Amino acid sequence: MQFELSHVDKVYESSEEIKVYGAKNVNIKIPEAEFMALVGPSGSGKTTILNLIAGLILPTAGSLKHGGEDITSMSLEERTKHRLDYMGFVFQDYQLLPILTAAENIEFPLQLKGFSKKEIKERVEWALTQVGLEKLGNRFPSQLSGGQQQRVSIARAIAGRPQLILADEPTANLDSKTAQEIIELFLKLNKEFKLTFIFSTHDQRLIDQVRTVLYVKDGQISESRVHNV
Amino acid sequence: MSGFAYLVKFSYRNLFRVPRRTLIMILSLSLGCGFIIWDLNFANSGSKEMMKEFLSQYAGNYHITHPDFYDDHNKKEFNLYKTMSDAELEEKDLIQLSTKRVNAPVFISGEKKTLGVLLTGLDVVKEKKISTLYKAISEGRFLAEAGDKEIILGKKFAKRINVKVGEQVATVGQAIDGSIANDLFTVVGVLDFGGGDLEESLAFTQLQSAQELLAMPLEKYHQRVSFDMDSEIPLSLKNHEISKWTELLPEIGVSVRFIDNFTWIVSIIIVVVVSLGLSNTLMITFFEREQEFTSLNIIGAQTSWITASLMVEVFVMGTIAVFIGALLGFAATTYFNYYPINIEIFTGGKPIIMGGITIAPLVRIYSVPQYYWQVPLMIYFFLILTMIYPLIRVIRRSKNAV
Ligand SMILES: Nc1ncnc2c1ncn2[C@@H]1O[C@H](COP(=O)(O)OP(=O)(O)O)[C@@H](O)[C@H]1O
Ligand SMILES: [Mg+2]
Repeated sequence: MQFELSHVDKVYESSEEIKVYGAKNVNIKIPEAEFMALVGPSGSGKTTILNLIAGLILPTAGSLKHGGEDITSMSLEERTKHRLDYMGFVFQDYQLLPILTAAENIEFPLQLKGFSKKEIKERVEWALTQVGLEKLGNRFPSQLSGGQQQRVSIARAIAGRPQLILADEPTANLDSKTAQEIIELFLKLNKEFKLTFIFSTHDQRLIDQVRTVLYVKDGQISESRVHNV
Repeated sequence: MSGFAYLVKFSYRNLFRVPRRTLIMILSLSLGCGFIIWDLNFANSGSKEMMKEFLSQYAGNYHITHPDFYDDHNKKEFNLYKTMSDAELEEKDLIQLSTKRVNAPVFISGEKKTLGVLLTGLDVVKEKKISTLYKAISEGRFLAEAGDKEIILGKKFAKRINVKVGEQVATVGQAIDGSIANDLFTVVGVLDFGGGDLEESLAFTQLQSAQELLAMPLEKYHQRVSFDMDSEIPLSLKNHEISKWTELLPEIGVSVRFIDNFTWIVSIIIVVVVSLGLSNTLMITFFEREQEFTSLNIIGAQTSWITASLMVEVFVMGTIAVFIGALLGFAATTYFNYYPINIEIFTGGKPIIMGGITIAPLVRIYSVPQYYWQVPLMIYFFLILTMIYPLIRVIRRSKNAV
């Protein structure tokens, strides 16, 4: 099931007079196993587009679909449930719960999904292994480096094997070497498990390895490139 | 693990995210809870002690009389003619600690003056076993078991009509057949109730002497007075007139109720003050985590789930607090059961005299079981109130988030 945005506008109205287009006539299709990056300077509209896909904000105009389902017609709680069922998230600042260990952080969405104890254990172990942290599951986030925390955050996003993983500037807080490792991890997961990724970045050096690159400018997709990687 | 069990586990973890703050909240709640339980137990034991003291002197816990003995419109007026017998009081065995009495308003003449008084005829043997009236004798002696036409007067009353122990007084009243009743009685003792009204309005004689004076058959009497504080009034006595001590001694009833209600009001004030502090702390706790609530929502936790987890968090805290509080309250109560409080510390060492009766200053505190659930329930109720505003803010924020 693919995610599809067609002719989507998002207008932010700070006041009667001031209207900002966060997204303007955006058309994106995200087929399964896609590996896609949104690239553009700060304020260009990357976060807005990701938030639209996630159903965190609703478009002012245009349609937003997943498979046949119209996300815009869902209630707030339904959209949350929809995210839980189909999406995984990786944040710029990791957003791990400080009170939970790495393994427990990964467990959290699985618990919400109502998986059995056994399945949760298997999935947490699998996810930790995929991100190379099988030995650090018992550590709390404060006991991990930034790169390790981001790996936990990725493990949390993939443990439920979602149809789409969204990441808003996942490498912005990391040094360039660690950033490179994170992108390589994304690529590995995409290749091995056909996981679908869409992430935003303004780091030009990372995008050579990305299959589909959408350049965003003033809320619009100004250019799209498909690499054969 | 079921969804709810996970919710509780998650909330429990969150609770100790800033351990010191949570411990302070738990401490203030449990100290409040413990103090309130102790205070209520104290007030209850204190007023029980006071009641016991009062009721054992003379009044008893309740009176059973003929249904028409007291005037419906004025409980203080009574009908001398209405008497009953043990046969009419079917359930007499259910009243453990009771004695028979005969009451009549009479005039008593001393050397100078004639004054009205309530003359009570009583069963000397029984009375001595269950009331402490005999202890109030300050001059002379109590009524003799085998004696006849003996009378005991209140100290003030004896002074007013100017009679002394050993002298005779003339008594005039109305017998139950309507005729004039008169007789001579010998003053054998003087009662000291500590100077209250009772001293001026009461006189006592042997049951049989009173019955003779009033021309009553010996198996008839006016009332049965029960001193049994701990047992309930037998239900089967409902076709008799039963006057509780609260009606018989309204002043004492009012002050006991005042103490009880006042203690509850103080308790509620304590809980409100603690709740206000708590509400503020909860607000800070929730605010600090707003960003986290947003990311939890992004990764799939519904607002209702987040709200529920916060509620569970507060309830888990409340439960820990009331549990500790109940233990503290119980411990303090038990301590003051072994080492009674001397309430004269509240009066600067002066004896406490109420309604003419000196109250025993040592209060042994007993636990009242119902306080151990009533107080926690009250705290839960205020915890809910405390949560409402911070939670509404969290919900409202989450709707506008991102
Ligand atoms: N909640 C908002 N209210 C008003 N304007 C917003 C809001 N969010 C984003 N914008 C504006 O929309 C534009 C796109 O922002 P954003 O999507 O955050 O860009 P990026 O993620 O590429 O930095 C910017 O001009 C920004 O100021
Ligand atoms: Mg952004």
